[in-house]
Amino acid sequence: MTTQSLHPRIQVVWVLRAVIVAAVLSLPFVGAFYLDRLPRWAPVVAGGVVLALGVVHAVLKYRRWSYEIREDALYLDRGVVTQVRTTVPLVRIQHVDSRRGPVERSVGLASCVVYTAGSRGADVRIPGLTPDGASDLREELKRLAIRADGEDAV
Amino acid sequence: MKLAPQSVPYRTLQKVSGFVVVAFFVVNSNDWGLPAAAAAGGAILLVALAYEVAYYRRFAYDLTADTLDISSGVISRREREIPYRRIQNVDVSQSVIQRALGIAAVDLETAGGSSTEGSIRFVKPEEATRLRREVQRRKSGASAGEAGAVDGAADADRDAVEPAEEDLFAISPGELALVGALSFDGRLIGLMAFLGSGSVPVLSGFIPETSAVALTATAIVAVGGLFLVSWILGAGVAFSNYYGFRLSRAGDELRYERGLFRRYSGSIPTEKIQTLTITDNPAKRALGYASLSIETAGYAPGQSSDGGSQAAVPIATTDRVYRLAHEVESFGTPTFSRPPKRIRWRYVFRYAIAVAVLVGVAFAVDWYVTPDLPWYGPAVLLVAVLPAAHLKWKHRGYWLGDDHLLTRNGFWSRTVTVVPYYRIQTVIDSRTIFQRRWNVATIVADTAGSSSIAGTSAAAVDFEVDEAIELREALQERLQSALASHRDRRDRFEWFEGDLDDAVESDRGDDVAAVDTAGADDATDTESAEGTTEPGIADTAGTPDADRDPERSGIDADDADDADNRDDETSPEIPDNGVIRPDFATSERDYSEPAERIDTGEYAVDRFPSDADVARRGDERDEESDDETPDDELSDDPAETEEESDDDTAGDEK
Repeated sequence: MTTQSLHPRIQVVWVLRAVIVAAVLSLPFVGAFYLDRLPRWAPVVAGGVVLALGVVHAVLKYRRWSYEIREDALYLDRGVVTQVRTTVPLVRIQHVDSRRGPVERSVGLASCVVYTAGSRGADVRIPGLTPDGASDLREELKRLAIRADGEDAV
Repeated sequence: MKLAPQSVPYRTLQKVSGFVVVAFFVVNSNDWGLPAAAAAGGAILLVALAYEVAYYRRFAYDLTADTLDISSGVISRREREIPYRRIQNVDVSQSVIQRALGIAAVDLETAGGSSTEGSIRFVKPEEATRLRREVQRRKSGASAGEAGAVDGAADADRDAVEPAEEDLFAISPGELALVGALSFDGRLIGLMAFLGSGSVPVLSGFIPETSAVALTATAIVAVGGLFLVSWILGAGVAFSNYYGFRLSRAGDELRYERGLFRRYSGSIPTEKIQTLTITDNPAKRALGYASLSIETAGYAPGQSSDGGSQAAVPIATTDRVYRLAHEVESFGTPTFSRPPKRIRWRYVFRYAIAVAVLVGVAFAVDWYVTPDLPWYGPAVLLVAVLPAAHLKWKHRGYWLGDDHLLTRNGFWSRTVTVVPYYRIQTVIDSRTIFQRRWNVATIVADTAGSSSIAGTSAAAVDFEVDEAIELREALQERLQSALASHRDRRDRFEWFEGDLDDAVESDRGDDVAAVDTAGADDATDTESAEGTTEPGIADTAGTPDADRDPERSGIDADDADDADNRDDETSPEIPDNGVIRPDFATSERDYSEPAERIDTGEYAVDRFPSDADVARRGDERDEESDDETPDDELSDDPAETEEESDDDTAGDEK
């Protein structure tokens, strides 16, 4: 399997998330504006800056994200500020979920979560898959994990 | 088996005593007076007692051949079966009151799960010990006959079966005193700081007229007192925790016991050990001491709060700690490689920034609360920045041993983590935005141990990117080879008396054979297509075809309903019988891409040919295929058996 990237629509999900974060973060500024502590433009600027950062982050995150099923491990490469490359040996997979949150459903996407017994990378989430892609990936990983012999999982 | 009868009153009082006292006082303070209060308390006690009696009557545990069965629950009932093989460790603890009553609590830990898997409260201490030994004995593969023996016989047996216990470590009074002296409980200081931070503005209103010097002096004395109390508290806790600590090895498990007021004892199977951690701090280093802790996957997050690993050697001379560690995992003599020297500047910057922040906070406090305090005081710490940065760099490192990865970290309290390659779960390579500026990376080898939750997982921090990538690849490779060798050993143990090469070859051959059957209807090559469309030919053609493609001909034989005389169980002496030992060498197939076509159902069949399930599965197939053509049967079958094997694997997992 060659390196896979995510579905471009995942950017919509992440941008939506950025919008929510921006809204929450600009709330105190709005409050301060109503208390006449800050001028009118303060909340707008604060929200705008956060939103712009969020959008840039979402785009970069999408460009960065990739995963690959190699012979004996699942490789993930992701992260904008902190770049993380995770290697999940197929033997170590405990179970695999495919899931669809409400936002993901609204844009027709799904994600796949791989669980290991580890303490840090205990669950690895691959977002931005088509629903079929997510269940295919789940089945594929399940098959590979069983072949890789689950006796060694812990 | 039942709980100890004493557990009923104990559990009752344990649960409701506080509640009863509160209820008593609340009712008593009303107008109804003492009798009503006594009645209310009594009623609560009675209800609780009734519940506990019901709990006692309902709670039963049983040691079966493969599992420990616990059935419990008064209102919602629960039957639980814990396979012995999945039990990570068994812990027994007794508080002072429990010791007086003659009862003990037994906890059985398995990997995963948010809480203790099996908790038996309470049994007699002898029963707790027996339970622990029985679990250990049955896990290490005692025969079914012994396991089914009546208790008396099992007891008599035990002395014979019980492996000799060999002491690894027993704490000496001097060491115990040292543990106490070096223990410092920071929690009190944290609590006081938290309370104090809220009261400073209030207090400052009361003491405006005293001079700043007096105020500072008082603060220093108070802080000094606080440290002293913390130290005494920490010493007391450590002393009572580690009083009479003893670590011993019996067969393939480690046993520990410790505790002054509350006695802990338990066992850890050596095969379940995930990581070893050796810790020291400047005080211990100066005296030549270190401590060792042994991690298993048994403790769930949050449970580790009461001191983390139960079997931690609190203190011993450094070479003794290393000898002990080698007893448990023989990892050789490490020679750590350090991060590049330039990385020290990164730490200098980091610590300088921390000091700057401290000064800033002090200035803010000074400006906000009381003027004229020497707010620039923390700047003195700048002197320590350079040595600290150097130490941090000096203590970082990793080493790849034959079977273990060792990492070392920490500038104050130095931690060496030993991770067998075989225990690595995931390998994580991360680079923060700052690390990228220095062109370095961090490699974390994650294990299922519990200490890593606290952030002390094995990490090689701040190594050159090239080196980090190499390390990542190396860990990955070594994990796979460790897995392979482990598998070989297990397979040979399970169903081979022959030599290693034999085992390896036929293991590989099995996978291949599984591929073969799965791909049979893919018509990927002529041989397989021929076999599928004309099973009769394959069958009657006999030996030549069977030689080349034994697994499929085994199935064909099934189809033709004359499987009985060719089944591996009835005629194991046929050397090239397909199901057990396919003749890999004579095959001309291209097996380079097995992953695409493998069928897990068949895989399970091949993997455990001596399993009782196989025969059953074969029978089922026969029955199902009675009124079907072989073609249908072959195309349907993978799906069916796949489901079946999924269930099996899931069962094995937990």
